[in-house]
Amino acid sequence: MTNRGWLGVACLLVAGVAGSGTAADDDLRIVVTGTAAAKDAIALTGLQASGPQGRAFLQTLAADLERSGWYKVQAAGAAKVTGTVADAGSGVSAACTFSAAGRAFAWKHAGGDSRQEAHLLADEIVRRLKGCAGIAATRILMVRRTGSNRADLYLCDSDGRNLKQVTHDNVACVGPRWTPDGRHAYYTSYVSGRPCVYRIAVDGGPRELLAGYLGLNTGAAVSPDGRDVALILSFPGNPEVFLMHLGNGMERLTRTRLANEASPAWSPDGRQLAYVSDATGKPHVYIMDVASRQSRRATFRGTENVAPSWGPDGRIAYCSRREGSYQIALLDPRAGESAGTVSSGPDHQDPSWAPDGRHIVCSRREGSGGTVCILDTLGDPPVRLFALSGDWIAPEWSER
Amino acid sequence: MRMSFAYSLVVLACIAALGSGCNTAFGRWLGLSSKKPVPAAPTAPPTLTPEIVPMAPDGGSLLEPGEEMIAEIGTEPFDKSRTPDTEAAFAPVQFAYDSFVIPPPEISKIEQVGQFLLENASRVLVVEGNCDERGSNEYNLSLGEQRAGAVRKYLIDLGIDGLRVQTKSFGEEKPADTGHNEAAWAKNRRAEFVVYK
Repeated sequence: MTNRGWLGVACLLVAGVAGSGTAADDDLRIVVTGTAAAKDAIALTGLQASGPQGRAFLQTLAADLERSGWYKVQAAGAAKVTGTVADAGSGVSAACTFSAAGRAFAWKHAGGDSRQEAHLLADEIVRRLKGCAGIAATRILMVRRTGSNRADLYLCDSDGRNLKQVTHDNVACVGPRWTPDGRHAYYTSYVSGRPCVYRIAVDGGPRELLAGYLGLNTGAAVSPDGRDVALILSFPGNPEVFLMHLGNGMERLTRTRLANEASPAWSPDGRQLAYVSDATGKPHVYIMDVASRQSRRATFRGTENVAPSWGPDGRIAYCSRREGSYQIALLDPRAGESAGTVSSGPDHQDPSWAPDGRHIVCSRREGSGGTVCILDTLGDPPVRLFALSGDWIAPEWSER
Repeated sequence: MRMSFAYSLVVLACIAALGSGCNTAFGRWLGLSSKKPVPAAPTAPPTLTPEIVPMAPDGGSLLEPGEEMIAEIGTEPFDKSRTPDTEAAFAPVQFAYDSFVIPPPEISKIEQVGQFLLENASRVLVVEGNCDERGSNEYNLSLGEQRAGAVRKYLIDLGIDGLRVQTKSFGEEKPADTGHNEAAWAKNRRAEFVVYK
């Protein structure tokens, strides 16, 4: 069956939770409550919080640490946060010390928003102790579909709060992708009546056209250094992968007259692109070395493999059709595909890695709608991002 | 030589419509980058300057031998430059799951449209490719474009000037039937004909 490594364990655990049917689906909570993955106990009892903002800081910090997957907040623990946090103007003033197993750091901030400050402290704890990026201060961009040819982009914090509408076009939009600065996104919109690629400032600001050639313009993904955009254009008569050097022309990366290409995704070092091609008759994930243009097929399991997302540790998450349902699977470009999947039950699609290289956000089909769901590759149960009804798809986790 | 450059877009119209402020975005990016310490990698992206003619940096062609661009320079999308001819209605071409091959029973529908275009030289056509909801939205956008492209190619083979036929993919975004069952899916895997005058 599956291998006995961490992935196999994670798959079985997730399957055990999600596979129990729709009754379990209703129990998905915003805060991770499972203890499937190993966790450190952390105590916040030594952190004296006063005032409404101070208490909001404490609550947010506790929720963030649990959501990180690495910690269980308890009355006592080897790790602890001590100090004081109090209201200061419209925000908080915090003077804290974190200590665990002989490691300690002081953390002082004054005047910032209580939730944001708590996110920053939670991410600092994860970064220093676990050596990976935190997710508390990150955001998730997604599409809300409201009907045939009707949709808009939405944005929320990674804990599901602060949901806000980014576009107000009420027209189909597809495939948002963050830029490395966490403030802009490329996406495909039908606002002009046909599919064109735009860059939008997600917190308000101008929307700029990147590609509006006749035919298809979509799938734009910006390179890690921000200089190039890989995208799908069909002006040669059929969809192909192109590389647009911003402000300096473009190059064509694929030349497959009889095949569709889709969904380019950059490797963290910017040297490779994962993308989808149906050159064999069915869509599969391919990996291209951008400098040499050499491509190789990377997926063989499942009948369709689409929507690759290349994570910070080098693994690719993608959507794989296995025995009739779409599930999230993992691929290590050096070692091959994983046998199992990190999701199970109803269809899960459009995976996007969190910057911690541990969590994956994806869309999950529920009845006639879609919900945004966070998966843990280390085995915590799946978490629903928020409880709103509707058809929420194509979530994208910001890099910062 | 008409095909060697044949191409265009609506850059100016789109920029005007969106009132884009490139410099503002550029400045914002820089400002934001300096706010938080940024790892060396993410640098400020150049201002977006959509190019009218897709061109390689060395000026070389982006086409393979035998390939033709799908429109001439200066061509506007028909849905912007013309008005729909609502009297010219044709049945959509249906497709099999995850396929852009035109099923033989559907060919007569394309031939009817071809006959109409041959007899009505002032009319032009947009073929709209659509998919069912299964599979990823982005893959379906490409599949829808290839379905539309297959119909366009068939019309060209019938003798219709390719410059009179444009394609537009809606992927799975514009279902004719919003149901989630085989009957709805079969209906949604289609290429529609929209005639403009």
